[in-house]
Amino acid sequence: MMPFAELVREALRSQATAKQRTILALIGIVIGIGSVIALVTVGQMVQLTSLQQFEQMGTNIITIQKGWSDKGGQKSQARQNITYGDALDLAHQVPELQLIAPYTTTWGQPIFHEEPLDMPLLGVSPAFADINKLELTRGRFISALDGYSFLGVLGAGAADQLAKKGVNDPMGQTIFFKKQGIKIIGVLKRVEDGGMRPYEINPGIIIPIHTSFLFGTQRNVNEIMARLAPGAKRPQVFAAIQRFFNQRQPGMLIQIRSAEQLIAEMAKQSRLFTLLLGAIGSISLLVGGIGVMNVMLVAVTERRKEIGIRRALGAQKMDIEVQFLVESVTLCLVGGLIGMSLGVGTAYVLAQMNQWVFFVSGVALALGIGVSSAIGVFFGYFPARQAARLNPILALRDE
Amino acid sequence: MKNAMVMIQMKGITKTYHIGDMAVAVLKGVDLEVAPGEMVAIIGESGGGKSTLMNIIGFLDTPSSGSYWFEDQDASHLTDNQLAVIRNQKIGFVFQQFNLLPRLTALDNVCLPLVYRGVPHPQRREIAKQLLEQVGMGQRMTHHPPELSGGQQQRVAIARALAGKPALILADEPTGALDSQVSQEIMDLFKGLNSEQKITTILVTHDPNVGRQCQRTVRMADGRLSEV
Ligand SMILES: Nc1ncnc2c1ncn2[C@@H]1O[C@H](COP(=O)(O)OP(=O)(O)O)[C@@H](O)[C@H]1O
Ligand SMILES: [Mg+2]
Repeated sequence: MMPFAELVREALRSQATAKQRTILALIGIVIGIGSVIALVTVGQMVQLTSLQQFEQMGTNIITIQKGWSDKGGQKSQARQNITYGDALDLAHQVPELQLIAPYTTTWGQPIFHEEPLDMPLLGVSPAFADINKLELTRGRFISALDGYSFLGVLGAGAADQLAKKGVNDPMGQTIFFKKQGIKIIGVLKRVEDGGMRPYEINPGIIIPIHTSFLFGTQRNVNEIMARLAPGAKRPQVFAAIQRFFNQRQPGMLIQIRSAEQLIAEMAKQSRLFTLLLGAIGSISLLVGGIGVMNVMLVAVTERRKEIGIRRALGAQKMDIEVQFLVESVTLCLVGGLIGMSLGVGTAYVLAQMNQWVFFVSGVALALGIGVSSAIGVFFGYFPARQAARLNPILALRDE
Repeated sequence: MKNAMVMIQMKGITKTYHIGDMAVAVLKGVDLEVAPGEMVAIIGESGGGKSTLMNIIGFLDTPSSGSYWFEDQDASHLTDNQLAVIRNQKIGFVFQQFNLLPRLTALDNVCLPLVYRGVPHPQRREIAKQLLEQVGMGQRMTHHPPELSGGQQQRVAIARALAGKPALILADEPTGALDSQVSQEIMDLFKGLNSEQKITTILVTHDPNVGRQCQRTVRMADGRLSEV
């Protein structure tokens, strides 16, 4: 039996004379393995991203928004909004809602030193900080006593915007909105985007919710964020919320989202990629595998004489079979390694686009190597057996 | 059947090829005895079955009938793997077309039989180096066969045949592709190995000059062997 190192040396020596059909076969393997790696990595990234969202905000956060009719919208034209009063009453009617944080969003152009800024205004109550796990780098957050006062807390991105204008300490500065001066009393630490958190936190100015009503939100809230009491049964709570709004305004549509639902949506999205990549991957691997088989069959025919010589020198059938198998596995591994880097690159781009946490697991890499080797063995088996079964005398007669 | 003074003992060896419905009898009852240390030339017409006989002697092929004893061992009923082991350990082949692997250096070509014997890399390189020096190819060890002349390639092939320390060298028209001066150099090499190392040698030749230099010559005619 030929030693393993010798086999690999032989295989690489044969690969060094790669031909065009070898390159074509490799492309199939590269795309196939690339898709498989991207597929597995996307799945794992989505899982990790969901997990992190669980960890950051807890699994017991829900949001309540006004719903939109499915039926192309005659009913939805009614634009039944959730009001601040609804939010306060809801907290009483559904005691399983342990903490409630309705908030408003106001778009417009705040002015600072005569220059317009690109910052949304979030009107919040103190519970907003707790539910969204906000931390301050400076100053204080909105308190219950702030009432209708014109005070604001800057998100980390908003603070950066001011810093670019040369204001390194925004504390005590005044930003004007609709002619009202809002005094900055605090600055927030940057929060992770995504999940249940309103994305306006980082770039926005956070003001008391009552103050925001003065800017024309008509006491309508954008959304109610709420934390469920421990052990609360979701279906019952959701039904109670629905009932509450139906009593308030018959026929009103409500959309309740939970962390679980969000994760399910992300999983659905990643399933789409999985399906797509799985299809591309399996077709490419099949095409690549057949290509490899073709390359190996040609190699066997071209090297009949070599096979005869080796047999004359004492190679057993198994030696020849293993030699060609190692060669086809080496070929597939070369393609597999290139494919793996391609797959990791694809996963990186998808992660950037979808704001998933990027990471590549050892399992994915092991899978890439494993699948490449398996393709090599599977599609190399038939040619290798052909080689081993050659009659050495006939093989030697070849010119 | 056993005879300690005989390396090869063949009786009534036949070989028949079947091409479609036609049976072509190439060997029709070959009797041959070769003692250890002998140097035997086989002559005969082209297509007479000399190569076929060499393949059977060298365990590359099996006879259709007849008995073949090699070193006191009955060679019939050996498995494919057993045949490979005997080829590897007992036989050194030298071919008319040299049959070196063009992608391998001279050194690696000589190493090849040792690879299949599982000899570790450094040791087999050492053995191969010595053999290449012995056949006068010490200066060309890293050359690839296409860079070598016919005579040089045949020297490398002889070194390869010697690598496994064979009991028997089988050379099928080893000088057939070489001019007369180089032929003589190769013959001198064979004769030296035979007389100095007592390696039993059987060679097929067309060249009466080559035949004359062997102790013993047999002729293949009509599927049978006869002493000359
Ligand atoms: N595998 C084979 N199938 C059919 N015929 C064969 C085969 N091998 C050899 N022969 C025939 O056997 C005869 C003897 O061939 P060979 O032993 O090569 O002769 P030599 O070496 O004396 O020239 C030739 O006629 C050849 O065509
Ligand atoms: Mg011949």
